[in-house]
Amino acid sequence: MRCDELRQPIVQLYLPIAEIPVNIFVIFGMGGAVGFLSGLFGIGGGFLLTPLLIFSGIPPAVSVATVTTQVVASSASAVISYWRRKAIDFKLAIMLLIGGVTGSSLGVMLFDLLQSLGQLDLVISLSYVTFLGTIGGLMLFESIRAIRRRKTGAKVTARRPGQHNWIHGLPFKMRFRQSKLYVSVIPVLGLGGIIGFLGTVLGIGGGFMMVPALIYLLRVPTSVVIGTSLFQILFTMSSATVLHAVSTQTVDIVLALTLMIGGVIGAQFGARMGQNLRGDQLRLLLALLVLGVGLRFAIDLLLTPKDLYSIAIITGAGS
Amino acid sequence: MIRYLALMVAAFLAGFGSGKALHAEELVTALSSDLVSIQSNFTGTDIVIFGQVARDVNSISRSGDYDLVIIVEGPPQEVTTRRKGRFLGVWVNRYYETFEDVPSFYALVSTVKVSELGSRELLDKHRIGLNHLNLAIARRSSVPLSERDDFRQAFLRLRQQQGLFSERPGEIEFLTSTMFRTNVPLPANIPVGTYKVKSFLLHQGSLLSKTEAQLHVAKTGFEQVTFNLAQKMPIAYGLLAVFLAIFTGWLASVIFKKD
Repeated sequence: MRCDELRQPIVQLYLPIAEIPVNIFVIFGMGGAVGFLSGLFGIGGGFLLTPLLIFSGIPPAVSVATVTTQVVASSASAVISYWRRKAIDFKLAIMLLIGGVTGSSLGVMLFDLLQSLGQLDLVISLSYVTFLGTIGGLMLFESIRAIRRRKTGAKVTARRPGQHNWIHGLPFKMRFRQSKLYVSVIPVLGLGGIIGFLGTVLGIGGGFMMVPALIYLLRVPTSVVIGTSLFQILFTMSSATVLHAVSTQTVDIVLALTLMIGGVIGAQFGARMGQNLRGDQLRLLLALLVLGVGLRFAIDLLLTPKDLYSIAIITGAGS
Repeated sequence: MIRYLALMVAAFLAGFGSGKALHAEELVTALSSDLVSIQSNFTGTDIVIFGQVARDVNSISRSGDYDLVIIVEGPPQEVTTRRKGRFLGVWVNRYYETFEDVPSFYALVSTVKVSELGSRELLDKHRIGLNHLNLAIARRSSVPLSERDDFRQAFLRLRQQQGLFSERPGEIEFLTSTMFRTNVPLPANIPVGTYKVKSFLLHQGSLLSKTEAQLHVAKTGFEQVTFNLAQKMPIAYGLLAVFLAIFTGWLASVIFKKD
């Protein structure tokens, strides 16, 4: 087990809910690294942190629930810095949130169903591979094309106000001044709903899906996208923390606090660095990161496991 | 050292005090502590078990050595063991077996190897040895009968890897011909609850005497307060976590605003 490597004297901290000791600096470092990426790309970072915690020996249920709390801290810190720069479209964020809450409630139902069938892990792994692979691939392709266009000196027209796709033909239009958009609320609610649904089933905030969807489907300006996405994640993950605390009692406040202190510091540096990078460069880096995590899950599914057997406590001490 | 001596004396006195024993030989044991408290710096601990084989003055001395077994057993659990199999090219959990009434912790120390202690019936009856734990299958099983033993062996192997199950023959130290001492390491990942410390005195495959003591493993201080809050007031605990998270985020943004 990997947690044996973390077991050294002096720096050990016993987690009251996870019921194991961990190396405080390793956890702090993980929080910092993921926080940096979260500030840089405007993602919650849940899809990176949850697997990291599980690989370091923390029970999966505790990992999933505690990461939601860490994402709250990380996104709160970033939301404030985007708020100061007035880079949040609140109207758009609230519309996404309405869709998100509806999607989440449906997600909880599917989550329970899959858990009773005993195939939740498989669905999570397959979904990670599918979504991370697809989104990472699309983003990689698009960002390379954008960078090449810029390099060859072609005129970059990232956003043409007059450009329309099928989404702009839908009814119930609403004006989002901050994003300079006039679109139907149907795709906005739908997007929030789908991501809320997937986020609940997969135990992630869904920022890495939200950001590209807002850019490519709704054509929200890149400058507003990250702040808006983070604002929506902040509220979704706050409610997820309370739901996890009530239903599974697996939120480890000591683990969360260690992660979030590392995370908020990392997020500040990330947000600052993000301002100095071009949009297409950011998207290329995020694409590579997303593809990397997707690949890791794919390898786990395809390679012969080191140990075919695994054990899980159902009831009794330590469950 | 003084504490050790005091325990030895206590063990002696207890031994002489129980003269009305049915057996000619009686086993007396004592633990170095009956409470293991888990705090934020807990990284595992050792418990020391002392004992004495008290012999009736009138009894004939037996030929050959006595055998001793000491078992520290954690509170019971129900555990599912799963095995992955290939399905459409992908490795998935395909077969599973659930064992009921399995100890969450099982550490055995003995004078000789478990197989040399006595008959299979005796070992099974008292759950002496990892292969005599009687891993009973709960509910329905998806595993064919011929493969059930593979699941048992895998379960025992994984638990040993976690440091929660162990069998250590030859680890009991005799201080005099009748007094002994051994220590059982409790790893950091032990579950909380009430443990049983069972001691058996055997001679040529027959059980002469046994004792059972309780050992409590519990969280104390901050760890206990946090755990209780999470269990008894989950909404308050959840809101506290959210508040703490937002506060941390806000604090960081205030600190970093200056530069």
